[in-house]
Amino acid sequence: MAAAPTQPEQFRGIPNIAEALRQQGYVADREVATAIHLSVVLHKPLLIEGAAGVGKTEVAKVMAQAIGTDLIRLQCYEGLDVHTALYEWNYQRQMLRIKLEEATGRPVEEKEQVIFSEPFLLKRPLLQAITAERAPVLLIDEVDRADEEFEAFLLEVLSDFQVSIPEIGTVRARHIPHVVLTSNRTRELSDALRRRCLYLWIDYPSFEKELTIVRAKVPEINERLARQICGFMQLVRTVPLAKVPGIAETLDWSAALMALHYEHLDPGAVEETLGCLCKDQEDLVRIRAHYVRPILDAVDAASGDGWTPERVGQLAAQLPRAR
Amino acid sequence: MDGRLSGSASLPPSSRGPADAASGPPGASDGPLRAGAAQARPGNLVANVTLFGRRLRSRGLLVGPAEIELALRGLGEANLADRGEVRLVLRTILCARAEDLPVFDEEFERFWSRPAPAPGSARPEDGGGTQRPPGAIPGGEPQGQLSVTEWSGEGAPEEDERAVPAYSPAEIRTRKDFAAFSADDLEAISELILLIARRIATRLSRRMRPARRGSLVDLRRTMRRSLQYGGDPAPLVWRRRKIRKAKLVLLCDVSGSMDVYSRFLVQFIYALQGTLGRVESFLFSTQLTRVTDALAQRDIKQALQEASRRVPDWSGGTKIGACLHTFNEEYGRRLVDPRTIVIICSDGWDTGDIDLLTSAMRTLRARAGRLIWLNPLLGSPGYEPVTQGMSAALPFVDVFASAHNVRSLRELERHLREPRRRHPLPRAAGPAPGRHAGRAVGGSGGTNR
Repeated sequence: MAAAPTQPEQFRGIPNIAEALRQQGYVADREVATAIHLSVVLHKPLLIEGAAGVGKTEVAKVMAQAIGTDLIRLQCYEGLDVHTALYEWNYQRQMLRIKLEEATGRPVEEKEQVIFSEPFLLKRPLLQAITAERAPVLLIDEVDRADEEFEAFLLEVLSDFQVSIPEIGTVRARHIPHVVLTSNRTRELSDALRRRCLYLWIDYPSFEKELTIVRAKVPEINERLARQICGFMQLVRTVPLAKVPGIAETLDWSAALMALHYEHLDPGAVEETLGCLCKDQEDLVRIRAHYVRPILDAVDAASGDGWTPERVGQLAAQLPRAR
Repeated sequence: MDGRLSGSASLPPSSRGPADAASGPPGASDGPLRAGAAQARPGNLVANVTLFGRRLRSRGLLVGPAEIELALRGLGEANLADRGEVRLVLRTILCARAEDLPVFDEEFERFWSRPAPAPGSARPEDGGGTQRPPGAIPGGEPQGQLSVTEWSGEGAPEEDERAVPAYSPAEIRTRKDFAAFSADDLEAISELILLIARRIATRLSRRMRPARRGSLVDLRRTMRRSLQYGGDPAPLVWRRRKIRKAKLVLLCDVSGSMDVYSRFLVQFIYALQGTLGRVESFLFSTQLTRVTDALAQRDIKQALQEASRRVPDWSGGTKIGACLHTFNEEYGRRLVDPRTIVIICSDGWDTGDIDLLTSAMRTLRARAGRLIWLNPLLGSPGYEPVTQGMSAALPFVDVFASAHNVRSLRELERHLREPRRRHPLPRAAGPAPGRHAGRAVGGSGGTNR
């Protein structure tokens, strides 16, 4: 246990991370702080799962800030391949060079060596992360959207931290980057990848946590409206929806209500701004038809009490059960 | 390690979790961790973490020696006097899936909560979490505890023998013997499967491979070749889309009304799974059972026996809506995507909630690439899909075909080839007219249970 991996100098453990979290308008969440801490000190990739809009990507930003290093992001999508993730050759430059070399009469092999050398290489996120001067945070965002072949390739890179480029040879990592992977669970990731990583599950925020976030990100909001919004969010997330609204929706909604000069929530205000919350036509119809008033009533009824998970459960049980 | 153990250097006392405060005065009941820390017996900690890891593995978590070693390293960085922190450290390292978390929490409470017995002093009342021989599982566990990892497919073998939890007595628990079927059937099925497999395998990927002719220029190889021609990228090198296999999800009705066919269809599923690899299989009657891993066994007899043993309500009633809903909730997001073909084998006799069936079908249709419904009754002359369940489900189905004999299954291959029909989905109005109108009139929505 004495042989801990080398750590960045600025990194001073969990309190430091908690502070960085706070600066990002993130409530100093113990689970998140512990996961970031372990990922850094154990040098293990961190896999973060959770529904869309709970702030998974934020964690990588916080991590980069806490360590005081760069963030390199690789956004995954279906069909993502090595050319986009790792490296590509700068073809325009290569072509130009070949033209310039035309008159020199050097042998083809030599020319080839020139144009397939490092100056002609376009580094994509993975190669950037491996060759960076100091260990960056490498965010591999929405890894579930990439296909399985890419996942296998990623696994290889994450275990060896070296890649081979046929024309140049093997590139070994100067510093092992701090890797954060996020997944929305649209596809099951392989066990092999899971085992390689530490795991963090981020749930929808509690009332208190969300309230703190709203206060931090929409500072001009009045306390009553903020509490109503957060209460509404707690309850609306218990309704079976195709797209459950996340923190981003809460913030959008708060901003919209502020822009329209609403001081508190009433059915009219909610009706008018519901589009900020529900991004799915059927959800919108369903909430509008069955839930706006019952939820507002429940929010008003609960205004005096705390919003513990148990209380949310009780209030949710009284909502209509329409499918 | 010792340097980190003294005091609470890593965390101020105020930031400790509520669980910590509840566990009594420090030092009194913090369990084996406390004992290990105070008496500086790291050996204790290693043994405890190892045992804990084994327990988690027996519950289906992905915990091996590497994870245990990592957990110990992680604990070396943690404040061992802080139970909340220890829990979070172990949780972050030993869990790998969202499904692991409740199992972990339960096991953590059980394993780390009681005070550690001094070495050699047995605690007869609970067997002592730290005294258990490696790998042993206490005998008196109620079966309900297994519910989370039950169908995870990762379970240790000893778990499989206990994996049938208790269900309501209302369900009929007959278990059919799959072992008897003719060799002819098998042969026909495997022949058919190959056809289907080949067909499915021709779906296109977005990944590229070099090709003599293709749709896209392979710039890298073109550049290389152009060197011979003084830099003019004259002969273009092409690449084309690679062939990719689609994924299949099979949901087979094994309720009483399907008895004549289900035995046959499950064999079909078994063969399909064995041929294609990327197949997930489920059986349902009044509830849903995942049988992918049961059917993954090499020996077909064993596989079918295992599958029939797992389904608690074979030949029971049918609640298609509820089962599809469960599937959507628990597996849909992970297993179904636009490249997935979902095949439902059922006669559509639903004794459950039709509204639920409609909404479940809508969700499934929205997620899946193709939705195919195989109905064995479709083979009988004069049959029309007029059962309530069937007519509710039909608008969402891409292909509606029969599945009453091998020939009809063979025709499935043709259906898989056809592109998805683009017809407007019934939206708010739904196939049952007045459904939503009724809800609106009802006002509270409580009319829809």
